[in-house]
Amino acid sequence: MSVFFLLIIVLGLGALGFVLGRSRAMASADGNIRNLHSLPNYYGFNVALTTIIPALGVLAILSLVLPILIDNRVSTLIPAESISEDTTRSLVMSDVRRVADGLDTAIAAGAMTEDEAQTIRTEFTDVRDRLGSVGVALGSNVEPFVLRAAQSYRAQAATAQLWTTFLVIGIAVAGFAVSFLRTNRDYRARNVVENGVLVLLMAAASIAILTTLGIVLSMLFETRNFFQDYRWTDFFFGTTWSPNFRGDSELGIIPLLWGTLYISFIALLVAVPIGLFAAIYLSEYATHRFRSYAKPAIEILAGIPTIVYGLFALITVGPFLRDYFAEPTGLGESASSVMTAGLVMGIMLIPFVSSLSDDIINAVPQAMRDGSLGIGATHSETIRQVVLPAALPGIVGAILLAASRAIGETMIVVLGAGAAARLDLNPFEAMTTVTVKIVSQLTGDTDFSSPETLVAFALGLTLFVITLGLNVFALYIVRKYREQYE
Amino acid sequence: MDDLRIVERDVDAKETKISAKNVQVYYGDNHAIKDVNVEIADKTVTAFIGPSGCGKSTFLRCINRMNDTIDVCRVEGDIAIDGEDIYDRKVDPVQLRAKVGMVFQKPNPFPKSIYDNIAYGPRIHGLAKNKADLDVIVERSLRRGAIWDEVKDRLHAPGTGLSGGQQQRLCIARAVATEPEVLLMDEPCSALDPIATAQVEELIDELRQSYSVVIVTHSMQQAARVSQKTAFFHLGYLVEYGETGTIFTNPEDPRTESYITGRIG
Repeated sequence: MSVFFLLIIVLGLGALGFVLGRSRAMASADGNIRNLHSLPNYYGFNVALTTIIPALGVLAILSLVLPILIDNRVSTLIPAESISEDTTRSLVMSDVRRVADGLDTAIAAGAMTEDEAQTIRTEFTDVRDRLGSVGVALGSNVEPFVLRAAQSYRAQAATAQLWTTFLVIGIAVAGFAVSFLRTNRDYRARNVVENGVLVLLMAAASIAILTTLGIVLSMLFETRNFFQDYRWTDFFFGTTWSPNFRGDSELGIIPLLWGTLYISFIALLVAVPIGLFAAIYLSEYATHRFRSYAKPAIEILAGIPTIVYGLFALITVGPFLRDYFAEPTGLGESASSVMTAGLVMGIMLIPFVSSLSDDIINAVPQAMRDGSLGIGATHSETIRQVVLPAALPGIVGAILLAASRAIGETMIVVLGAGAAARLDLNPFEAMTTVTVKIVSQLTGDTDFSSPETLVAFALGLTLFVITLGLNVFALYIVRKYREQYE
Repeated sequence: MDDLRIVERDVDAKETKISAKNVQVYYGDNHAIKDVNVEIADKTVTAFIGPSGCGKSTFLRCINRMNDTIDVCRVEGDIAIDGEDIYDRKVDPVQLRAKVGMVFQKPNPFPKSIYDNIAYGPRIHGLAKNKADLDVIVERSLRRGAIWDEVKDRLHAPGTGLSGGQQQRLCIARAVATEPEVLLMDEPCSALDPIATAQVEELIDELRQSYSVVIVTHSMQQAARVSQKTAFFHLGYLVEYGETGTIFTNPEDPRTESYITGRIG
């Protein structure tokens, strides 16, 4: 039975459980709600949740685990000598799965019977032809061992599905029975349901955490593969970035890191003063009416896709800087430059700084301002000496969040600063960043066993560690700020 | 006989510090203060009492023009300190507030050190010529705020780390540091426990030697304990104003009597 039907059945059981549980509780209380420990709906939800949640949990786990188990068992059927030079076990396995799918399609189309599909032999039939006749195209003739593996795959999948069906429905029925029988007027259904909801909330929270963990782990494995092929000292301390596919690539991260930090620095140099001043104006001086229009207008900047900023850098800011600054001063003749990308990225970051700072400045209690004004300080003295120092840790947090964004930005850099890795101080030279190189190492014709490709994961992990560090630092500062007044 | 009477009058009737005539305050369309006339004497504690929302805090905030910071607020009529109209165009509200200090309901020390909290006003107004001078001002203010002994060893610890009562005395010391002539207190004890309240009340009595103190309070016992003059506000009107003893024992207006005996409010 398919997962979809299982889902329908389990949910149907749950709905039935709700109705029956509720009415059983009502019956045990002689129809008077006051005799019940909890409201009648809680008894219904108790039965419904005990029916649905464990069953769906098991279904989720089985659908994740069983395919892996089957894959492992089937792949032992593939003889080691059949894995030749130009192929790998995983490629053969995908062939196996394709043939198995093809057999399924053939049966569904009526071109084959179930028996035929399990007994068919390449020695007697042209499997490729028969599958082709129902629209399943195979790249090459089907090897006998592939067909046998596919048939075994189908058999095991069928068994697994049968077991899944039994297990899931069994658990649902058991949950239904236990909770239904326990339902009586003294049963504390409300507490049980609330605990159940708590578990759901915890599950939601742990999914987010587990995903982060999964991302880190997958990056870690690939990075380990990379460092098996490439010396880590050359990666972290190398000052040249010149990948090639002849086998003598130099993959030093320093030029990329330099580009990243240089561009981010210029971006923050633009975004922090403008964003902060805008925030001070909006929160302290602007009228309520003006603020209600201006704040969303600034936040629109945050909604513009970065590729659009990139276009702006490419066709407007870049040529402008080249024609009016770089060429007259003799600093460079390229439209792509650190300055271009930095300026445009700074504009992109203004709303991050201003919006967060505005909220933080607003959170400074009015009592602080009153205290300062009451002593005879002017409005601007109050802002400079009381409001900003009180908000400073929060503002620093906002700036660090903006810095994380700047470090992770890709599109603006590609279009604004180019893709040439260079270690240079001149802001009118083209440079590039870690993220751009990750993209360029992973796009196009890639070979996932060469260091030139795997370096992308090491770059990504390095970037992740840097931004994670910045975020942790930002959170630490924001938390400290909460203890300031009160 | 005549001489004796003159001496007596000197003790009782001090010169007027603040005088308000026909003061009206509007918050938007809401007429919050109606026709208030009052003369507040120098070197006296004057208490404003009345039920919540009667306008006593609003009127207090008119005296140092703190209401200017509220957009919708409009003040009409004349308020004069030492005969000078404080709503005159020539008067800078910022200068005025240095002369008329204010202590708020909730202690609001700045998130700075104790020393910097006190030094804030003197620094802004340039009252100290050098660091030593500033040290003297800080110590004098903290002593006047009756908190010097408790904080002298930790002047550079954050002011927010003090207890509620200490914070309020710190705020009083901060207000005193700019050498004001009038001290306005908006329910200074409402966030404090009885012991801290007693300390602050004692302090208010001492401050009377040097300043004209105006205190808004919800506690009639407190008004009776600390003040010499009492004004009773009700629904935006100044109902009755006179000697504290008279107001509490022999009020003229039936509304005052009802409030004091607990029937309205």
